[in-house]
Amino acid sequence: MSTDDVVISLREIHKYYGDGEIRLHVLKGINLDVKRGEFIAITGASGSGKSTLLNLLGCLDRPTSGEFILAGRDVAKLNDDELSTIRNEEIGFIFQSFNLISALNVLDNVQVPLLYGPHVTSTKTARCRELLASVQLDHRLDHKPPQLSGGERQRVAIARALVNEPVMLLADEPTGNLDTKTGDQVLELIERLHAEGRTIVMITHDPEVAMRAERTVNMRDGLMFDVERP
Amino acid sequence: MIRSKQIELIRLGVTNLLGYPLRTFLTTLGVVFGVGSVIAMLALGAGAEQEILEEIGRLGIQNVIVNSVKPPETNKGNEQRSWISQYGITFTDFKQIKSTVPGLKSVIPVHMSRKQAWFGSKKVETTIYAVQPEYMSLFDLRTAMGRDLTGVDGAELARVCVLRAGLLKSLGIFGDPIGLTIQLGEDQAYEIIGILEDDKFRGYAREALAIDSSNSEIYVPYQTILGRHGTRSISRSSGTFEATDIELSQIVIEVTDLDNVLIVARMLERIFAINHEDRDYDIVVPLEALAQRRKTQQVFNMALVAIASISLLVGGIGIANIMLATVTERTKEIGIRRALGAKRHHILAQFLTETTTISTLGGVLGILLGLGLVQVLIFFTGWTAKITFNSIALSLSISMAVGIVSGIFPARRAAYLDPISALRHE
Ligand SMILES: Nc1ncnc2c1ncn2[C@@H]1O[C@H](COP(=O)(O)OP(=O)(O)OP(=O)(O)O)[C@@H](O)[C@H]1O
Ligand SMILES: [Mg+2]
Repeated sequence: MSTDDVVISLREIHKYYGDGEIRLHVLKGINLDVKRGEFIAITGASGSGKSTLLNLLGCLDRPTSGEFILAGRDVAKLNDDELSTIRNEEIGFIFQSFNLISALNVLDNVQVPLLYGPHVTSTKTARCRELLASVQLDHRLDHKPPQLSGGERQRVAIARALVNEPVMLLADEPTGNLDTKTGDQVLELIERLHAEGRTIVMITHDPEVAMRAERTVNMRDGLMFDVERP
Repeated sequence: MIRSKQIELIRLGVTNLLGYPLRTFLTTLGVVFGVGSVIAMLALGAGAEQEILEEIGRLGIQNVIVNSVKPPETNKGNEQRSWISQYGITFTDFKQIKSTVPGLKSVIPVHMSRKQAWFGSKKVETTIYAVQPEYMSLFDLRTAMGRDLTGVDGAELARVCVLRAGLLKSLGIFGDPIGLTIQLGEDQAYEIIGILEDDKFRGYAREALAIDSSNSEIYVPYQTILGRHGTRSISRSSGTFEATDIELSQIVIEVTDLDNVLIVARMLERIFAINHEDRDYDIVVPLEALAQRRKTQQVFNMALVAIASISLLVGGIGIANIMLATVTERTKEIGIRRALGAKRHHILAQFLTETTTISTLGGVLGILLGLGLVQVLIFFTGWTAKITFNSIALSLSISMAVGIVSGIFPARRAAYLDPISALRHE
């Protein structure tokens, strides 16, 4: 395996929250390599640090110590603007609670990442509509998030995550707030994106959902363990 | 088509503001009233300045006017005092000015006397101005009815007069006045040849020309008075008796070149200082007065605007306050935007765009309010007000600046929120 193929490389990552008495040691030395195009599931009990880890991977947060190499760059050496650019261009986020902006309609929500990219071109705005069409929401462009069902909201969020054609998708319990059927639709969408060549890291507490990934890791007490597949 | 992100940012900002129309409107109010009063103050200030300009401009900035004034009572011991008080500008002064001061276009003598005017049994206290035709044209005293005084009237020592329209009523003349005869002073009959419109001199100009406010001037040919009556004047009113002998009540000096006005004024001061021991004269230089008055007015205007700006300040604080609340309320949204790649300056720009949009909107409404306010003020007070393009441009830029300044603190707070805690905010 050449190092080029490793998109994410974590070495002895530690993360603490808070200070003094309430200082919380959440990640206690995580090591992980994710290959380009890999689809990996992270499982673990509530509070085990899954979201904390995903936020680090998404450059939303920084580890307290340890080395994080993202596509060849040492993240610790990047400044806030550079991290923002990475989030904008290379990473697509999908959240458990969708995180749409309720004041904006569906189309504007999907266009938000464009505002922070290099420039807004008509091809890009056209792409927003195509993406919404591909998640069967092209007839709801003018609706605001509160008017949509959970599954519909998550599909908007997925379309938004894909606007800038990221190489990596980070999903934090994407089906957590959905029933089995709509959850399944969302998972099929994610599998399709994986088939298109994207690297996907997905958090789930559901072992069955985790089985849709190529590989599963489990988090326990701030540490990470590989899970044997049957 | 490439739609610029700036436009998109503004569009989204406006979308956000329109989401809460009432709140947005209330937030603008401070700026609306602030800008409204600034506009009104600027308009009144500009109006007052224009009034000064018109008032003093009427005197002609190329003219210098010298008036005879009664000197302060001097205690010259037992020196026997004549029963006629003698003071003021003399014919000698007049001749000396004409012959020694260069660069003058004209030197116009004026003699004034208080006299009673009679028409039938009606009697009115008036001031008789013995003037040359040049005086009338210099100060734009054109007759609205009848004809102007001419050089021929003077040469013939004609007993003709031009009077203020206001006098007609007090004299009980209601029909066509032209050709009627009135009695001036000691039973001298004068024919009315022209009527001047009512008072056109205001404030400073009236004072400078020694015109009282009763609007009762009667203009007669200079030579007629000098030739027929001389310079002595006796006025009786309610038991008091006053006799004066003032050779010239006033001299109007017209300077050919504007650049020389101040030099001429200094020369006149020297001539009079030498010729007159008492300060029985007063030299009026409209050019100087104009500069002085404008300066005073401008300081006053600035004070007015500064006071009006206080409400702008309050408006700005209002915007900052609401924006701080909005930032807290929209913490989650800020987190989402950061997660999607917004840099700090994007968040900063977003909130600044919103505050600037609010304050500019307030500015536009404020300008409309100010325009209305000015109309109302003009209607009820009759003041002069002048709305200038500059005042509108100034108000608009001030209101935009208020938006930026009041937005900076909340916007910075939003931009420096930690993305993760913002995202976790409920
Ligand atoms: N910003 C923070 N400040 C303080 N403590 C935090 C913060 N974020 C997370 N934690 C704590 O870190 C621990 C791990 O949180 P995290 O959200 O990563 O758990 P998780 O594995 O995603 O749980 P869940 O499955 O419930 O989502 C928790 O105990 C949480 O309370
Ligand atoms: Mg979590």
